[in-house]
Amino acid sequence: MGKIVEFLDYTFEYSGMERPAVEGVSFSVEEGEVAVLAGASGSGKSTILRSINGLIPHMYPGRRSGKVTVDGADVSSTPTYELARKVGFLFQNPENQIFMFTVEKDVAFGLENLGYEPEVIRRKVDWALGLLGISDLAKRSPSELSDGQKQRVALAGSLVMDPKILVLDEPTSLLDPRTAQDVVSLVSRLNKDLGLTVVLVEHRLELVSPMADRMVVLSGSRVWAEGSPAEVLGREGLHEVGLSPPAIVEVQKRLPSGDGLALDVDGFVRRFLADVGHRV
Amino acid sequence: MAHVMAEGFKFRYLKTPVHGLDPRVKLLMTAMLFALALLSSNLYQEALVFAAVGVPAALARSLKRLLRIAALSLTFSLMIFAVNMLFGQPLLESAVITIRFLGIVAATSVFFVTTSPDEIEYVMRWFRLPRDFVFAFATSIRFVPVLMMDLTQIIDAQRSRGLEMDRGNPVRRIRNLIPVLIPLIVNALVRSGELAEAMEARGYGAVSRPTSMHALLMKKNDYAALLVLVPAWSLLITYFLGLL
Ligand SMILES: Nc1ncnc2c1ncn2[C@@H]1O[C@H](COP(=O)(O)OP(=O)(O)O)[C@@H](O)[C@H]1O
Ligand SMILES: [Mg+2]
Repeated sequence: MGKIVEFLDYTFEYSGMERPAVEGVSFSVEEGEVAVLAGASGSGKSTILRSINGLIPHMYPGRRSGKVTVDGADVSSTPTYELARKVGFLFQNPENQIFMFTVEKDVAFGLENLGYEPEVIRRKVDWALGLLGISDLAKRSPSELSDGQKQRVALAGSLVMDPKILVLDEPTSLLDPRTAQDVVSLVSRLNKDLGLTVVLVEHRLELVSPMADRMVVLSGSRVWAEGSPAEVLGREGLHEVGLSPPAIVEVQKRLPSGDGLALDVDGFVRRFLADVGHRV
Repeated sequence: MAHVMAEGFKFRYLKTPVHGLDPRVKLLMTAMLFALALLSSNLYQEALVFAAVGVPAALARSLKRLLRIAALSLTFSLMIFAVNMLFGQPLLESAVITIRFLGIVAATSVFFVTTSPDEIEYVMRWFRLPRDFVFAFATSIRFVPVLMMDLTQIIDAQRSRGLEMDRGNPVRRIRNLIPVLIPLIVNALVRSGELAEAMEARGYGAVSRPTSMHALLMKKNDYAALLVLVPAWSLLITYFLGLL
């Protein structure tokens, strides 16, 4: 285990903008962890994610300082197609990351771009479709799929490249609660089964805090808090940075905290969610 | 309206011997029919063109669709006819020219009615057309239904805010399109920005010659089709060229 993603005093300002989108950001993610990135809209979450897979600085010009290291490589000097092998990216709107007319062809897209042999592509595509339980959709056209299915197709298209890190930008924001829960459970399973490191942007904290090993909260382009979910969710002022902590955490905080009443928010949240999860 | 159009353009895969052919064979067949249609110089030959187009169309159970496409081009055909007459072409000549145009439309449609966009993309790859070009073609077709959905949603949204699309004089109606077109364009721009990011994230452009999971393979029935097509066409074309 070691640091697989590391931001060191990182600042980025999109060219033409007046102020940095992220400023003086330092945090790291250990291999195999699930890290949740939260913060109000415009706080710089997507900018952080783009800096992990090299869209920044390779696609977005701007002023940059500090350093981002991903799996030992300095992002600024690694071409995006190299990073594409290390980092799988799931965007908010799956519709806009499905290019081809059939599911299997779309899943093959990344490997074709990297120039793999046809037989290898076939094998990996079948594996990815099976992993996400969408083998029966292989020949379907993307326009016939539900939102949840599109999300899986997009995920398959990223995972087929066998990345070490999976980065997800608000993957559930366009989904209904049940499908959102499915996607989150799926990501959790991928983390456990494949040992994938996950960096997930999500504001529905009650949905993701149970599986998070680490939370980073951004506010006004800076890191506002970083630590275990219990540490971060226990902090005062979450509302002020635009987040609503899981209801159970609020309840905990309002309870009188005597000496015998240790604040086990994390465990509490887990139990609470396991319970809710069954009923959803 | 948008829905109907999206439906009309949607490719429907039918299980017929023609649909099942290798797309390269279908392209060759279409090119042959096209050449015949182009070279037909009298009503007699034009009748032969329609017969030649009709056979694969019927085998593909797509005669009706083909007729509908022909009907769509009828207005244009009548214009061709009118222009020809105006410029003093005799009636017969004008008719031949107009029917030739219809023949060309029908011949070309055989390809698009029996070949999925997916197969067209394979053929483009097989011809080694530039990767960017093939990709642009694929995504633009892939996003037709998506943009149609956008359009329907925007129209509904603007209607619910009181926009009356079909009211007023022609100038007014064109002005009415602005609140629909602007969001549509903005939407499309956002989409293309996100697409560009997603392409990059999946290694687009990593190697100069990307591979293909799927290879086009000629099967027995493709060779059989060629065995029928080539002699039949050679015969017709020699006759059309007056060499027979
Ligand atoms: N492509 C871009 N060009 C210029 N400015 C941008 C761009 N994307 C985001 N920004 C700006 O950077 C800041 C952070 O945005 P973003 O990283 O998208 O935040 P979040 O994902 O948390 O909503 C915002 O002020 C936003 O306006
Ligand atoms: Mg964002």
